[in-house]
Amino acid sequence: MKLKQCIFIMMILLFVTAFSAYSKEDIPTADNSAFKHPQRPAAVFDHDEHNEKANLEDDCSYCHHVYENKKLIKDESSEGSSCSECHPLKSSLKNAIPLRTAFHKRCKECHFKSDKGPVLCGECHVKKAR
Amino acid sequence: MHSFIHFIMGPMVWISFMIFFFGVIFRFLKMFKLINEKEIFIYTYMSLKYSFRSIFAWLIPFLPVSTRKSPVFYSISYIFHLLLFLVPVCLLSHVLLIEESVQWSWFAFNDSVSDTLTLVIIFSLIFFMVRRIVVPEVKFLTKPSDFIFILIVGLPFVTGFLAFHQFFAYRWLVIAHVLSGELMLILIPFTRFSHMFMAPFTRAYTGSEFGSVRHAKDW
Repeated sequence: MKLKQCIFIMMILLFVTAFSAYSKEDIPTADNSAFKHPQRPAAVFDHDEHNEKANLEDDCSYCHHVYENKKLIKDESSEGSSCSECHPLKSSLKNAIPLRTAFHKRCKECHFKSDKGPVLCGECHVKKAR
Repeated sequence: MHSFIHFIMGPMVWISFMIFFFGVIFRFLKMFKLINEKEIFIYTYMSLKYSFRSIFAWLIPFLPVSTRKSPVFYSISYIFHLLLFLVPVCLLSHVLLIEESVQWSWFAFNDSVSDTLTLVIIFSLIFFMVRRIVVPEVKFLTKPSDFIFILIVGLPFVTGFLAFHQFFAYRWLVIAHVLSGELMLILIPFTRFSHMFMAPFTRAYTGSEFGSVRHAKDW
């Protein structure tokens, strides 16, 4: 009886994980092409859906900010240029915040503040179905 | 939920490190106090030369006779202790969390390397557990608490492994991972995990006694 129960539970777990993996296909992700050897799958991110949910539709510069001489230029936005144009792969004198840190902090700090959205590694870097 | 995660991954990490750090200092103060109260005579034969002779002899794999008598156990033990330190310190996720909070950064393994090494750690722990059940002379010395300590060491690695692969209940596994890691850090100074920093002193004492009193090697 006990063995049968174990097998039954394992079958359920197998099905649940199989289906959850299947449903993760074709989810839009953030552009990670600037990284030469990314170790994790690109972060799950649907730009328009995110901004609708986060009420950010009129405030592009919240994420697409412009800094000059280490000072934030208010109301100026950097849409159209990619994050990696300013944030290098490794921190330098010109820009102390490397690209990876910029991505992580931009997402996590806001999510922690607003008590919404993913904050743990695997909640954005979701393993794809193999 | 977010504020709880923020707490255990932020302030609680520093609190754990502080308890670890001050715990170590406390243990050393207590040790020297105990020596001064009960065994002040050991200073008559404590010797730097014999202390370091013993420490270095025991640092060389398979130099001491007893390590050569149980080569399998000591091989696993050497690898386990090395990885126990190396894997968490050089894990990419840990390194980048520290980089994001204090701008320090150092070498990190590729995730696939850490993944394999974590399995080595977990299997070593299973080996230690089986050894305590199977080998008669070790079984004789084993208390239930020995298994609890193995579980405490294993928990951060098992939860970390499961979370990395995102098999199930991801958020809860990460929370369990963070908390079990902090628990281990806090327990180090106050349990037998303290051999992490006490071991050289045990060696120094034994080495000095063997060198200055018995005029013999202690390896």
